[in-house]
Amino acid sequence: MKTATGNVFVVDDDASFLKSVSRLLRAAGYAVQTFESAAALLGQLTPATTGCVVTDLQMPGSNGLELQAALAQLANPLPVIFLSGQADIPTSVRAMRRGAEDFLTKLSPKEELLAAVQRAVARDAQERQQRTQQRDLRARFAGLTPRELEVLRHVVNGRQNKQIAGELGIGLRTVKLHRTNLTRQLRVPSVAELTRLVAEAGLFPPEPSR
Amino acid sequence: MLSALTPLPNIFPPRRWWGGFFLVLTLLMAGRPAALAQNVGPQLTSPPKRILMLFSEGINLPGLLMLEQAMQTEMQRVSTNRLEFFVENLDLSQFPDTNHLQQFQKYLSGRYNETNLDLVVAFPLTKEYLVAGALPDALFPNVPVVFATVNEWPVPLGLSELGVTGIIQRHDLNGTLNLIQRLQPNTRRVVVMGGTSEADRLTLNEISERAKSVEGMKFDFWTNRPVAELPVAASTLPQDTVILLSTIQRDVTGQRFHLAEFLKSLSPVTRVPVYVLGRSSIGNGALGGVVVNQEELGRRTAQLALRVLGGVHPETVPIEVQTTGTPMFDWRELRRWKIPESRLPAGSVVLFRPETLWEQHRATILILLAILMVQASTIGALLAQRKLRRQAQLEIDRQRTELAHVTRVATMGQLASALAHEINQPLGAILRNAEAAELFLKKENPDLEEIRAILADIRADDQRAGSVIEGMRALLKHGRHEANPIDLGNLIEETVALVWADALTRQMNLTMQVSASLPVVVGDRVQLQQVLLNLILNGMDAMTGGNPAERRLTVHAARDPNGDVEIAVSDAGGGIPAEQMPKLFEPFFTTKPDGLGMGLAISKTIIAAHGGKIWAENHANRGATFKFTLPVDRCEL
Repeated sequence: MKTATGNVFVVDDDASFLKSVSRLLRAAGYAVQTFESAAALLGQLTPATTGCVVTDLQMPGSNGLELQAALAQLANPLPVIFLSGQADIPTSVRAMRRGAEDFLTKLSPKEELLAAVQRAVARDAQERQQRTQQRDLRARFAGLTPRELEVLRHVVNGRQNKQIAGELGIGLRTVKLHRTNLTRQLRVPSVAELTRLVAEAGLFPPEPSR
Repeated sequence: MLSALTPLPNIFPPRRWWGGFFLVLTLLMAGRPAALAQNVGPQLTSPPKRILMLFSEGINLPGLLMLEQAMQTEMQRVSTNRLEFFVENLDLSQFPDTNHLQQFQKYLSGRYNETNLDLVVAFPLTKEYLVAGALPDALFPNVPVVFATVNEWPVPLGLSELGVTGIIQRHDLNGTLNLIQRLQPNTRRVVVMGGTSEADRLTLNEISERAKSVEGMKFDFWTNRPVAELPVAASTLPQDTVILLSTIQRDVTGQRFHLAEFLKSLSPVTRVPVYVLGRSSIGNGALGGVVVNQEELGRRTAQLALRVLGGVHPETVPIEVQTTGTPMFDWRELRRWKIPESRLPAGSVVLFRPETLWEQHRATILILLAILMVQASTIGALLAQRKLRRQAQLEIDRQRTELAHVTRVATMGQLASALAHEINQPLGAILRNAEAAELFLKKENPDLEEIRAILADIRADDQRAGSVIEGMRALLKHGRHEANPIDLGNLIEETVALVWADALTRQMNLTMQVSASLPVVVGDRVQLQQVLLNLILNGMDAMTGGNPAERRLTVHAARDPNGDVEIAVSDAGGGIPAEQMPKLFEPFFTTKPDGLGMGLAISKTIIAAHGGKIWAENHANRGATFKFTLPVDRCEL
């Protein structure tokens, strides 16, 4: 049998269920920590913490959805799997929309649960890596002046120098000067590379469409 | 001792006293025609009609008093003229001498000469005192005369030639004697008591004459004994005897008597009933008789007097002789002698009948009745109100019971939901523990301690699940209804599967028509399954006993025009009688002998709780369909 690895943080107000889930996940190979409340978990997490969260939906204090929202505020949000006694569709839809890895019931087969945990741990690792890269990239953009950033935004959107000059109300030569400065500083050979870099850094997120 | 007189001979020849009567009338009559000619045409404005009522005897005699009163009353009642009455009383039996008569005549002529009399009404009772020559002629020469008398006189010839008219009332002796035989058929002896005055003897003569023709009864005339002794003698009379009281103006000792007074002394001691001849004698202890009714005589005399006052010449009016009397009785005496009223002759008048309570206290009784009715109606109204209130209370109690029942049912649904939630916790833990144990056991060196701990936990969770079920009632208080998304197609399939075996056994053909595009509804699965199960079982019950080939039950589910889900359960049974339609969903309404009548009521509660509707429809040909709707959640789903 394949032994999985990773951290799983289980939150449930039912100690008995908490223990059983933790056993299952440990048997599956995960390092498991259990918490009887959302607050207990949140108090222990650091940006370096990896893994995923398995939480009950209905709990005294803050419920599963509130825990999900609190986690999303963190620098490294852990993926969340909901494990509910009785799921209702509106709640599950909301949870999924907010990025939950899965929405399972307490009587869901272990295969579903373990698969979800596995996906979540992997996703955490992947997203963590992405975030590290982004942070590195953003550090490279940090030296640019606000005017250079402005010009950069127009460039990656495919604007010509003349258009940029008209848009910003500056001279064509000034635009060219800014472009030279920022390519030199970012050490990118082409506009295509520059555009890829900006996307990886998540610098200019697309306008929300909804 | 009391050997009576034999029937009296006619000892008082009429000739002698008739002369006196003529004389009185003569002196009244003289010069009449002229007076009559002036005396016509009643005028309201003219001077009143003046009437002199001239009695020969004391007006204090009860019969005369009654006669006078009746006559005056009747004349006043009928006449359109103003009437003035003058009453004079010769009192001849008290003062029989001629001198008195002459003085009286003088007095009358002196008194009434200046008075324009219009009529003289004479009441001559005892004629032996009006001897010839005692009164001068022409006392009231121009005034018409009417007379009335109760007597046994033969009608005098030539009376009407004097220009007078009047009424002679006979004692109805035949009537009275017949009456005795009628009322007391066993009577063997009649004791006749009478006076010694001329009129008394005349009456006794008549009785003696009539008695001759009566068979089976012996007549004793107690006329030669002092009247004062008679009551004592009467007290020893045997039962088959009656007393017939004739007139007594004077007894053998010459003492004057009033019948009324005599009767008062006789009545308490007599052992036999007393018959009398005059109405005025009734009331003092006499049984009654076919009597002279003085009131009636007064009325008839009044009518005659009014005719004469109206201009009719007295001489043209024949003298009336009235021989029949009126059967009249004292009610108290009828009771005393135990004579039933049914034995009385037709037309009898019973006097002194006590007024019934109604007659005596009519106003009081009416008021009491009114009060009673008001009270009764008030009580009735209160009772009715009380009944209504009780009915209302019973209705409220009934509804409260139903409500409690339905509420309990609804709570059961919530309870089931809560129960599922609470049981899912330990079940989930058991599942996870078992799964974990499986994984541990797959390892090369299973941690047996861990597995032992797992098994202990599984047992603990199992007990916990059991205790949840045990604690249903506690959960009832805290249970919460939770709505879950339901795949109705799946639910219907499951439900049909539940009854499939039953349907096969009962030879029912079950089919499902579930729309593929059925949306998910939110609700309580167990409750909805309960409804569906109920409708399917009802439909199957409705078809029991029919032709097996026709026992088809269909469960149909599709969206209705509103976008809601409509589930229909159709049977081919007998349908629903129209009068039962409105009551179908009421609690405790059932057509099944062993039914509780709660199935459809609970179903209605459940469907209503889900925001839907439930109803029933009869098919055109046979069978019925029960339908319910469930609203589809139209949020972001």
